[in-house]
Amino acid sequence: MRWVRLVPEFTSVGAHFDREVLSALDRAGVAADLVLTHVERGDPVAATVVFARITGGLAPGTEVDPPAEGRCARFPGQSSLVGVHHVAEIVEATAIDQVVGIGASVTPDTRVDTAGFVRPRYRDGLLVLLVEPAAGGVFQPAEVEQPHECCGGAH
Amino acid sequence: MSHHHHDGHEHHHHEVEPVEGSWQDPADDRPIAVARRRFLAGLGVAVGGAALASTGAGTAAATPRPTNRWGAPQRWYAGDHHIHTQYSGDGQYTVSQQVAEARKHGLDWMVITDHGGVAHQKLSIDQVAPDIEKARRSNRDILVYQGLEWNIPGAEHATVFLPPGRGTVDILRAFEAGYDGGILSTSVANGGRGLITRSTSADGEPYALAALRYLEAQVLSGRTEIALMFANHPSRRGVDSPHELRGWRDAAPGVAVGMEGAPGHQAAGISKASGGRGGARGYYDSSPGVDSHPGYAPTATENPYRTYGGFDWMTAKVGGLWDSMLAEGRPWWITSTSDVHQVFNDTLTPGPQDHDKTGSRGAPVDSGVKQSGFGDFFPGFYSQTVVGSRSRSYADVMRGLQAGRVIAVHGRLIDGLDLRVRALGEGDEQGVTLGGRTFVKRGGSVEVTIEVTGAGGPNFAGAVPKLAKLDLVAGPVTGPVSDRDALSAPGTTVVKSFEVSKNRSRFTHVFRDVPGSFYLRVRGSDGKRLTADGGPVMDVVGDAEPWNDLWFYANPVFVDVV
Repeated sequence: MRWVRLVPEFTSVGAHFDREVLSALDRAGVAADLVLTHVERGDPVAATVVFARITGGLAPGTEVDPPAEGRCARFPGQSSLVGVHHVAEIVEATAIDQVVGIGASVTPDTRVDTAGFVRPRYRDGLLVLLVEPAAGGVFQPAEVEQPHECCGGAH
Repeated sequence: MSHHHHDGHEHHHHEVEPVEGSWQDPADDRPIAVARRRFLAGLGVAVGGAALASTGAGTAAATPRPTNRWGAPQRWYAGDHHIHTQYSGDGQYTVSQQVAEARKHGLDWMVITDHGGVAHQKLSIDQVAPDIEKARRSNRDILVYQGLEWNIPGAEHATVFLPPGRGTVDILRAFEAGYDGGILSTSVANGGRGLITRSTSADGEPYALAALRYLEAQVLSGRTEIALMFANHPSRRGVDSPHELRGWRDAAPGVAVGMEGAPGHQAAGISKASGGRGGARGYYDSSPGVDSHPGYAPTATENPYRTYGGFDWMTAKVGGLWDSMLAEGRPWWITSTSDVHQVFNDTLTPGPQDHDKTGSRGAPVDSGVKQSGFGDFFPGFYSQTVVGSRSRSYADVMRGLQAGRVIAVHGRLIDGLDLRVRALGEGDEQGVTLGGRTFVKRGGSVEVTIEVTGAGGPNFAGAVPKLAKLDLVAGPVTGPVSDRDALSAPGTTVVKSFEVSKNRSRFTHVFRDVPGSFYLRVRGSDGKRLTADGGPVMDVVGDAEPWNDLWFYANPVFVDVV
């Protein structure tokens, strides 16, 4: 597997950034089964870089060693997560290795309301999804697609 | 332990109404009178005099000087330092509406804090200043401060405010133009200054320090009596790193004095099933972003991006970030505010004006429909910052805030708190109260007396809350940290919890054989939502009923060992 590192022109973290990055990859005809975003803080101003595991097509960016960690914007099986799923199903149907509850443990039977937006954490080759208790006796991913933005996100 | 009061005046505390430390005034004519705190001024003066005689005269210059002496004459004033109006792009109410609501809900002081930015600096200030002056003239019984919700360059938002004075508006205007993160990060073509990458990016951090030094310089030069800054919703996006919090305090210790222990927007977590928005309490539903501090990471045990019992993670976590600053001996106070923009179930909605072009949304529009999607409470309705001040003047209330004589209260959980910390034997036998600093001889004993008064009537949800328990939290003062991003205080614990069964209770705890300097603080809960170890529970996004999970947090007392 080849990994490449890309530095997008604008920087952010979140659903909007993901969409831009993923559609840019698609437009370029690049097939990548794992796409990670990662904040690099080496310079005074932090920037988000993208690591993509290339499965086909021309690889843009710089070829690099597999990254140690990142936030996963695309992974195998992601599209099957569209609504409420049991933990067992998430682990079975996708590349997610583990579902971990925050402050509350989950079992294979625990239901997770994904709302079609799932961003597991990638670390040392494992994908871990953090979930937390939500309304109605289900859990939900700790990262939601549209967190509240003060003043429309202006600042 | 109990009844360790000395000087034989303890009977006053049991028999005279109202008591020291209570901000409830039964004679107040407003709907629920959490106001016009009567106070045993005579007693306070007498006690203060006795203290001077016993510890003041003839002592060496090296004797520590206690601050916030217990028994000094003061009254309690409830307020809110975070209120938006039509002059915020995401606000809607007029100044006069907010002042009327604050009065109705028992507040004595309030700060108008519209968002900083290009349009606000150029267009809104000139409109809000006369509105505030008019509100002051027609509402003599409430202090209305002019302030700003500053976009701290490199970080979150903060309240900045000054007492009324000849220079006030000019100082605020210059401060915003020079140092607002929104203006600094907006391009010159769009009316900004184009000096930093993003409002929250780290290249803004030096501007934040310069900004606070600017405010302190205005005080030192006499252009204003006092200026204060409180960091708002500090954990919401994880962009207030520990070294920034410490840096602000160090840059301007008279100005940067604290943070919201509890953010506003406390109605936003009411579930859809209960007719609410079904959002996150405090609008705390975020996750790490590009400018977030990497130490703030959701894990299996905690999520720093959530509230806990309505309070910010920095404050709610025992041994967490707030405690790590206190364990340095660094004064840093917490408050609780409404951050009111749009009120839950109000029918008013924002006016039609273009804020970017006019600096105002215009008059709010009555939709005739209850807006269940709005997430805020009016000032004083749920959150109160209660301040001990020697007078009801603009400058003195700010000095009380600056000195940490402050309690953050939700839903009228308590009507009064009298905390006294004093040395038994050699040391400061008079003792100090909230935000104070006292001293004891090494190996001596320190007595903590907590006299708490529960709610004497219903809160604004129509229920009489019942305080169920108090936690006494304490930890060693270990001096300045070498890692400015330190965010834990491993030595800080809940040393004792007290079950509360009566409306008026007094609890005493004695720290014996005190080996070194330490600090302590008190918090209390209605006990309706507790973890196994008695702490606050992480609020559930979409299902957080604010009225059934009430807490108060009091600011700390530092004890020096000499």
